[in-house]
Amino acid sequence: MAILDVHNVSKNFGGLAALKDVTFQVEEGTIHSLIGPNGAGKSTLLNVLTGLLAADEGRVSYKGTPLTEISPHEINQLGIAKVFQTPAIFPEMSLLENVVIPVLAARDGDFKLNFMETPKGMAECYSYAEEMLNEVGLQDDRNKEARFLSRGDKRRLELALCLASKPKLLLLDEPTAGMARHETEQTIELLRKIHSKGMTKVIVEHDMNVVFALSERISVLAQGQIIAEGSPDEIKGHPKVIEAYLGEEQEEA
Amino acid sequence: MSGQLINQIFLQVMTGLQLGAIYVLIALGLTLIFGTLGVVNFAHGALFMLGAYFAVNIASAMGFGWAIFLVPLILFAFGIAMERGLMRFFYDRPHTDQILVTFGLAIVIQETLKWIFGANNIPFATPSWGSGIVRMHEYLPFLEGFVAYPKWRLILIGVSFVTVFGIFALLQFTRFGLIIRAGMRDPDMMRFLGVNISRRFTIVFGLGALIAGIAGVFGGPVTQVDPEIGMGLLVPSFLVVVIGGMGSIPGAVLAGFLLGMTLSFSAEYAAIQNIIIYLVAVVVLLVRPRGLFGQKGLME
Amino acid sequence: MSKSSNYLMPIFIFTAIVLTMPFWFPFLGGYEGLDTKILIWAIFALGFDLLLGYTGYLSFGHAAFFGISAYVTGLMLLHFSSNIIPAMIASVIVTLIIAFLIGLLTLKRSGIYFSILTLAFAEMFHSAALSMFQDWTGGDNGLTGIPTPMLFGLKMQEMTVYYFVAIIAIALFYLAIRISRSPFGIMLRAIKSNQHRLEFTGVNVFKYKVFAFVISAFYATIAGSLMVIYEPYVASEFLDWSTSGHLVIMSVLGGVGTLFGPMIGAAFMLYFENVLSVPLGEQWLLVLGIIFMLIVIFLPGGFVDGARKLKRKLTAKENS
Repeated sequence: MAILDVHNVSKNFGGLAALKDVTFQVEEGTIHSLIGPNGAGKSTLLNVLTGLLAADEGRVSYKGTPLTEISPHEINQLGIAKVFQTPAIFPEMSLLENVVIPVLAARDGDFKLNFMETPKGMAECYSYAEEMLNEVGLQDDRNKEARFLSRGDKRRLELALCLASKPKLLLLDEPTAGMARHETEQTIELLRKIHSKGMTKVIVEHDMNVVFALSERISVLAQGQIIAEGSPDEIKGHPKVIEAYLGEEQEEA
Repeated sequence: MSGQLINQIFLQVMTGLQLGAIYVLIALGLTLIFGTLGVVNFAHGALFMLGAYFAVNIASAMGFGWAIFLVPLILFAFGIAMERGLMRFFYDRPHTDQILVTFGLAIVIQETLKWIFGANNIPFATPSWGSGIVRMHEYLPFLEGFVAYPKWRLILIGVSFVTVFGIFALLQFTRFGLIIRAGMRDPDMMRFLGVNISRRFTIVFGLGALIAGIAGVFGGPVTQVDPEIGMGLLVPSFLVVVIGGMGSIPGAVLAGFLLGMTLSFSAEYAAIQNIIIYLVAVVVLLVRPRGLFGQKGLME
Repeated sequence: MSKSSNYLMPIFIFTAIVLTMPFWFPFLGGYEGLDTKILIWAIFALGFDLLLGYTGYLSFGHAAFFGISAYVTGLMLLHFSSNIIPAMIASVIVTLIIAFLIGLLTLKRSGIYFSILTLAFAEMFHSAALSMFQDWTGGDNGLTGIPTPMLFGLKMQEMTVYYFVAIIAIALFYLAIRISRSPFGIMLRAIKSNQHRLEFTGVNVFKYKVFAFVISAFYATIAGSLMVIYEPYVASEFLDWSTSGHLVIMSVLGGVGTLFGPMIGAAFMLYFENVLSVPLGEQWLLVLGIIFMLIVIFLPGGFVDGARKLKRKLTAKENS
């Protein structure tokens, strides 16, 4: 069953067509990667999916619900979580507090006037947050302020943040961007580990190692259009894909 | 249309331009500084005030002409010192801290002036060559009968136009202006290209202060010269910037004169006049949050 | 997570200080009733900290709520009944409705817009009070002729007023601490930390901002009302930008985000204004302004942060 249905989505910026008639589906429970050379429109597409940008044409449906005209917090309450290119966490708050926030948001909805609630009432939330920190291996630092973490650890924290809201769909925007080799390996391992929960993941990635290590299905975006789609093996030798990337290399040369 | 009506409308337009002139000058500096450095300068009204106080003292000691020459230069230097000595340490700090430190500076300037000159207003007479009235009907055929307008207010209007065009010319026709405009769009790119944008932005800060100085010299005789005018002019000027679009120079100019006109033409409805600018600001912000010429998404 | 004894401690300390203040405060100088005034501003600053310290939003317009509440209380005492309870209730209702509306209009934009707009709104009310509504407000002269406020037959003067304010202050401090420890408080701090991320974590950030704003306005409202009960006169200066400005200064001086800090800042500033101004003369605000700038530049965490740093240095010296 398709959990995410992108249908004829187009987006223009001024005269520039960032997305042209993009159509693809993401099957529930799969890891689906979105790749493409620089400027292909991957970030734009991701922003449309998370409610930051409105598509000019076409529609995006999540489990049948259209994702247009919905604010980011509503999108998250529907079950979609996003990992940002630059780890987006709460720097001045402790790791434990960082992760308890999505737990509270899942428990209380998008707003609750609970300013008289005591910490005792949150005990369950805090222990679940600790579990999440365990999942990603950060439990020892639980009282540390998040801004003191390394970039790799910040990424792990962000994953814990996303997992804590028990999403059905996890969107990852270049999760290994700027990482060293061993950090990338760790991230791949982590993503593999949490995949057994049956969550759907859509990964926008540049690092082909990550893509081919994790993906069950790959869509290739170039110049705002889907030029190829299939299993990793199908994509590996795909002539159009090679052409799109070679074209990029020629520009860089 | 009766001649009297034409006269009346003409006078109201002139008053509108004159009322708007001071707001335009202050808003111009504010929006210039915000558009380049991203700083909201809560001390900008105090800069105007400094200009006015310097002007009145220099004028009485050495003559008004010297005030016209020296005050903008003094304020330019002050602006440079303020940017290099204070503001540049706050670029990496949250916006609230920038607002707090400029607010603190405004208080310090205000209280220092109060300490030196007292809390009462200092009379600031217009120079002899700028005093008196101009017989407008002698120059404008469509006016009927005797229509006079204070000379100094005409000079003020003229100065504001000249300043606006001066800044416009600087930005449009010089290399410096080109770099500034490019930097306003994308300062990181400029740094990447090796352009020393910081030094130029410092100069822009000085320019913003300079314009406030000009406003102080020519506007001082029109407004009071007392320690309260700084903040008193800052609030409407902020609103002018916001209505025009933060960082937009044409916006600040248009909104400033528009405000002046609104104040002038609503003078009969004295009750509303006091709060009209706030009502206009609220309406504009509800309908078009970015202001008349603001960039979309800049402040949303 | 704090144990219950941990959070009750500040409340006990505060209660002890406040209940005994009339006995030791006279030794510090200052006129009679200054301690009451300090408590009123402490309440004002406490609420302000719930906004600035927690969400990070800097309002320059809180004078509006202080002043509107004062005028409503004054008018109620003057025209309706000298009983303070209906006056206070009316103030709360009127001011909070206005605060809610202003919050809706100003919180959709960024923090910069918010600071400018709140300043503008306050000035609008100030202007209106001096012009449009001067028949009601007394214009420049303020609202005079208010009868002695009564609490069901009890005259609100001297000690009675002080202890009335003190009890309210203790209750509101307790409320502030409860808020800070609640999930609501966590969300507010998250807004200051990374609003964008919070939005993407399923939280309706706008609603939280508006309620934080209204809650802080509530404190301002109570403070304004108490001010009139303390001194039955409403000055037009209550709505002046300088009232908002003084609030900002004292909160930052004390230490934003600490709840205790802004209250200490209020005491410090009022002490400065009323006691230290004797040797310093008219320039007390200049000196305070300079101190303020120094704090913003070098010690943004305020006095509380300074005390913490000092404590750390002293204990480190002991250990080494």
